[in-house]
Amino acid sequence: MRGLKYQLKSVSRDKFCLMTFLLPILVAVALNFMGSIDLSTLGELHFGVLENDLSPQTVTWLERYGPVMAYQTPEELTAAIKEPSTNVIGVNANGDSIKTAISGDELDIFQQAAATLPALYEQRAEAELVKVLTLERPDILESFQYIFIPAVLIVAMFMGCTFNAMNIISEKEDGVAFVNEILPMTPCQYILQKVVVGFLFGSLSSIITACICFQLSWNHWGLMLALILLSSFVAALIGLFTGKLSEGLMIGVVYIKIIMLVFIAVPVLCALIGVSGPLAVVCNIVPSQPAFDGIMALSAGNMGTAAKDAGILTVHAAAWFLLYVLTAAPRRHR
Amino acid sequence: MGKGFCALFKKDCRMLVSGKFFLMAIGFLILYTAYVNLGYIRFMQMEPYNVYLYDPAGIQTEKSPLVQIVSSMEDMDTALLSDANGVGLDSSTGEVRVVLYKGAEHVDRHRADYALSLLEPSASPAPEVLGTNTPEQKARKEITCELLFFELAAVGFLGIAAVLFKEKGMGVIRVHAILPARKDLFLLSKLAVFLLSDLAFAVLLTLLNVGLADGAAVLPAILLQTAILSLMMALVGLLCALLLKDFRQFTLAYLVIAIFAATPVFLSANTSIKFDWIGYHPFYHVYMGLKNAYFGTAISSVYYAGTVGAILLLFLVVRLAFHREIGKEG
Repeated sequence: MRGLKYQLKSVSRDKFCLMTFLLPILVAVALNFMGSIDLSTLGELHFGVLENDLSPQTVTWLERYGPVMAYQTPEELTAAIKEPSTNVIGVNANGDSIKTAISGDELDIFQQAAATLPALYEQRAEAELVKVLTLERPDILESFQYIFIPAVLIVAMFMGCTFNAMNIISEKEDGVAFVNEILPMTPCQYILQKVVVGFLFGSLSSIITACICFQLSWNHWGLMLALILLSSFVAALIGLFTGKLSEGLMIGVVYIKIIMLVFIAVPVLCALIGVSGPLAVVCNIVPSQPAFDGIMALSAGNMGTAAKDAGILTVHAAAWFLLYVLTAAPRRHR
Repeated sequence: MGKGFCALFKKDCRMLVSGKFFLMAIGFLILYTAYVNLGYIRFMQMEPYNVYLYDPAGIQTEKSPLVQIVSSMEDMDTALLSDANGVGLDSSTGEVRVVLYKGAEHVDRHRADYALSLLEPSASPAPEVLGTNTPEQKARKEITCELLFFELAAVGFLGIAAVLFKEKGMGVIRVHAILPARKDLFLLSKLAVFLLSDLAFAVLLTLLNVGLADGAAVLPAILLQTAILSLMMALVGLLCALLLKDFRQFTLAYLVIAIFAATPVFLSANTSIKFDWIGYHPFYHVYMGLKNAYFGTAISSVYYAGTVGAILLLFLVVRLAFHREIGKEG
């Protein structure tokens, strides 16, 4: 217990470790903050018009669908339409009707909106009479955030890896690793102390991130907690391996970056491409894949898949622990 | 002077090879290319809203072929539940009623009116197309630009600092203080190595992801912007390596730069989210320079004057810090 106290004390003085612990939480707060104000406007239509070209009634009608920006000259309007970061639709008067202009590089949804806008304008009087029944969206994650939030949570879960790797590398650099060799401490105690530090910080970071990002029911929280604890444990063990293998701080940083990239890229690509069959089973070798899949399943309310993923993570935890005990730990006896 | 520069240049190249800098760059190049071609292009597609019609009496005879018929209200509910952006039209009572899941207010109005317009399609004039890029070309240029910027400003920057801290740790600066070569050559050879490797990376990344024909057309402008960004980041990396005590301190500065400085720039430059203060963010202008190069948009001469001034200023500051470091060592 005393050893653990020293480990925690050493980590608490390490700014790098504290920063990595705080980073996912800050990103989660930023994502939540952005989600509440901005992301819905990304799918909105933006219109560009020439000053004094359209009647005020037409501009008011356009404003029902999205913000309207008036430009002084046709050149300014053309530049705004062509600007690649926005999807501005140019609207000009065309006798009693309107005509539209686009850049041509917009997504299909915006091109279709521009193509049908004159028809909408002609039918505006009839459209106002129609009843619209708006249903509340089911409690699923917003489309833009659905992949970011599990990705941030994955980063938080696997922060334990960074903690442990950095911790062991700095012990090596400061010569503490040699002192550890002669301390009256068994390999099991050593592993336990090291794993607990990364595990505690990784889990804590993930739990806070999950609290900020998810509104889950209590029974879902049980499974979420299981996913978090298991992934953090596996990550802490992988961190020990990384620390052992790294010769110096710089090599360690490169290894951590590669591990982090693989941990994020595999599940995100699997989710985007929709991998299935034997390849999906192979992807489970990367421990972040079942964790990510489990979180996605939980957010969609699919308890069965989440439980299966928790099972895969349990196998991972046992396998990594055995691997560490069998390979890395016995060297300490020599 | 030329001989001294060549010797230093060769030494720096060997240093980068032994530090696995080139290997890491090739690894990232493969990763980025796989991401663009396998993931991003497929992800960046947004089809028009699906419209589902329940019309048991068959009143809607003029409907567009884009409208999908459902046989019951239950089927419509199921369709809308799995496709929350879709719009349902219920014509069972004689009058048309629009059913949709709540989203952003403006978008909902447009979705409803768009769905209704499909019941009585009219031939409206096709929109005038002003640009030359297709959606895929735009997506490819946009993501390649982001990745190149990220690579130069974050990943490459980390590599630069890692190499420089290693040299500092090995005492190369101390040795250099007594070498019979001009002191500025040390800085110039570093800048040249990183500049050349960044330019090579930019060429490969652009040609592999934007395409040979499209990429080659905009390559000269991209190389100019890459050179500006590469010189700036190499100089900032040099400054960090000279001023900060160790690599650990640097990683803190790096994390702040990579996450908090780059995110608002990406958001402002690539989406309709525009921050009022973004004009004061130096990265924003550099990023926009690179982006304008990819899209073939004209870049103002004020920007070039500003970047040349910034590079000269950074070089002078780095030179000062380097001479101070040599003085300390000597």
